[in-house]
Amino acid sequence: MPKLALPRLTFWRGVLLAILAAGTYATFLRVFKGLAGSTNLTDAFPWGLWIGFDILCGVALAAGGFTISATVYIFNLEKFRPIVRPAILTAFLGYVLVVVALLFDLGRPWNVWHPLVMWNPHSVMFEVGWCVTLYTTVLALEFSPVVFERFKMTKTLHVLHVIMPILVVLGVLLSTLHQSSLGSFYLIVPTKLHALWYSPLLPVYFFLTALTLGCAMTIVESFLSNRAFGKELDMELLVPLGRVALLILGVTAVIRFADFRHRGILGLPFAPTYESRLFLAEMIIGVLAPAVLLALPKVRQHRTGLFLSALLIVMGVVMNRLNVSITGMERSSGEIYVPAFTEIAITLSVVGVGFLVFALAVKYLPVFPEHEMKDARPPVAPDALHVAAQPIRSLPMPAIAVVALAFVAAGALGADGVRRREVVPGPPAPAGTPALAAALASFEAPAERTFPQAPDSPGPVSFRHASHVDASAPDCLSCHGNSYSFLGRTQAPPAGLMHDTKHCGGCHDGTSAFSVEDDCAACHKSE
Amino acid sequence: MLNTTAKGLLLDTTRCIGCGACALACKERNGLPKTSDAVLEDKLSDKTFSTVNQVGNRYVRRMCMHCATPSCASACPVAALEKTAAGPVIYHESKCMGCRYCMIACPFGIPKYEWEKKAPLVRKCDLCADRLAKGLKTACATACPTGATTFGDREALVAEARARFAANPGRYREHIYGFEEVGGTSVLLISDAKPEELGYPAGLDETPPPHLTWRVLNIIPDIVMTGAVLLGGIYWIRNRRDEVDAAEGHHDASTKGH
Repeated sequence: MPKLALPRLTFWRGVLLAILAAGTYATFLRVFKGLAGSTNLTDAFPWGLWIGFDILCGVALAAGGFTISATVYIFNLEKFRPIVRPAILTAFLGYVLVVVALLFDLGRPWNVWHPLVMWNPHSVMFEVGWCVTLYTTVLALEFSPVVFERFKMTKTLHVLHVIMPILVVLGVLLSTLHQSSLGSFYLIVPTKLHALWYSPLLPVYFFLTALTLGCAMTIVESFLSNRAFGKELDMELLVPLGRVALLILGVTAVIRFADFRHRGILGLPFAPTYESRLFLAEMIIGVLAPAVLLALPKVRQHRTGLFLSALLIVMGVVMNRLNVSITGMERSSGEIYVPAFTEIAITLSVVGVGFLVFALAVKYLPVFPEHEMKDARPPVAPDALHVAAQPIRSLPMPAIAVVALAFVAAGALGADGVRRREVVPGPPAPAGTPALAAALASFEAPAERTFPQAPDSPGPVSFRHASHVDASAPDCLSCHGNSYSFLGRTQAPPAGLMHDTKHCGGCHDGTSAFSVEDDCAACHKSE
Repeated sequence: MLNTTAKGLLLDTTRCIGCGACALACKERNGLPKTSDAVLEDKLSDKTFSTVNQVGNRYVRRMCMHCATPSCASACPVAALEKTAAGPVIYHESKCMGCRYCMIACPFGIPKYEWEKKAPLVRKCDLCADRLAKGLKTACATACPTGATTFGDREALVAEARARFAANPGRYREHIYGFEEVGGTSVLLISDAKPEELGYPAGLDETPPPHLTWRVLNIIPDIVMTGAVLLGGIYWIRNRRDEVDAAEGHHDASTKGH
């Protein structure tokens, strides 16, 4: 019995509709006006929001898939099994959307398959291309039992059950490789990426932050699922994830400290510059605040407290990826990049489509196994983007203070940083007229050359640069670049051409020099 | 490293009179349109592969440096950029998918993009690879009337640069830019000024940037093998415990989460 009634228009559905409308318009511009007509990208700043957010953050945000499947299948922590499906679904959707976003960014998206056949093993992007392709396939297989269950295909299910451990090991390896390789993208630009983010350890940072994010995203997704679908995971599962996230945050912070110490830049984050301010904002939101919150057992075991901590980690990783790809690359480019409306619209649409497809999948596929889920509230009509009130008041006061303080501090630092942003002065501006005496001493009039004979001509013309050029102030462009080739014509000029005012006749007019009509033999050598 | 017979250019700012012949000859050879009223105002773009601009009180050329170990060619996921034995770094446009990683990777900011086009390509100097193949000089070196752009074997150009240093004491800051920078380039620059005073990037290490990525990419097989054994081992140990428990009838021990 198909329901024909239109879905109720809630606030979030309205927002989604507006975003998708803007995204459709932006897509139109991208297709018909090219990259110039749809982005603020330039030769100096060729990678913007689409690479920085859609690709770098998109892949990182999908890290929950490999983190959780490794936890359940490899480490055999069965209690996490209920999270596997939503985590894998999110990861799969994430990767598909990353590829979709990539198609917007590529100048020639119809060649997107080229890395699969045109190999360059020295390229990090080649490696990432292969890993993402393989891993998306692995994710599809990992998620496929859900679809097969829906259609009760038991034989296929059995085969998948047998090969699942292999798939999971493969998925974890592929993820380890490309999550870290997204950081390796920037290893090749030691002179372009700011020292706060450029480090030989870039791949290590990208991998560790992806792991933290894997835990954080699982927590965030669980809470959002609760709000949207009335389905929620047990706190018993999420609290340990918070602890693991705290542990990796700590490890990463220690590594970063050691790295900065060895590179002698421990003071750099406190320099009064655009980059340093945004780096501190990233550290406060993504490391310091969530670490403090998660370290407090009262906050960690509080539903909203845990959610807020995880949300801060997510925001911190997003800030990190944008800082690496945009903030850190601006100074060397000499340009300030601000994404165009169309770039933002596409990015938001990609995220919106992700939410929409996830909601549809939850509605029609057994993503959250009914028996293992704790129903957080009485079942409501499945409304993908319905949001219920959440008791934030019950959060311990110190936690609220930490969150508020973190946002105020990061906001102030960010604003101050942007205020300090300046265009880097380019090479010195022209100053006076260069003294050319030494250079002119090396001037050598080009060799004599012969123009081929035109059909109506009494003979070929020999041209002597030496008698036409003032060696004390040579002006090559008075003849070259307009009428005369630099590289030499090999064909005879058309009849009458050379006598016109654009060629020899321009000067040889009887006033500046003898006329082209005077004495043929003066220039033309007879046969 | 660099093939000793590989061709290159020696740029000498102390010999440049700013006539613009090199830039216009480049446009002529590449069939590129005029982009400004005065050729000295041109900036590198998809329509200008070589410039000569007044920087401070000198005339300075900019063009692709044709690195011995090019970052662009290392970065390109589809091997659309290639360093040839003859010297030029050339571009196979049919392979390109337009990711623009070459533009990010290039330490000199050389590759430019056809942003306005619907099927855009990367554009840059190719050291007149077709002319070189015919035994000709590059267009810019052909047009230069002062020897500010000299064409030749890279090894001979290094010797030429040193000979100019020796013959003109005090005229040069005796450093051949591109001799060691980023592992060596086919285009070399000599001047009386520091690179940064000429608008060239300073502080480039002699390690070719591609080596920084290759160090990491090179250990991937090790990571994969170690990781596979490690993860497989953990899986085997963790799950074996359950199987043993199950076989011994301790069903209560294997019911975690069920």
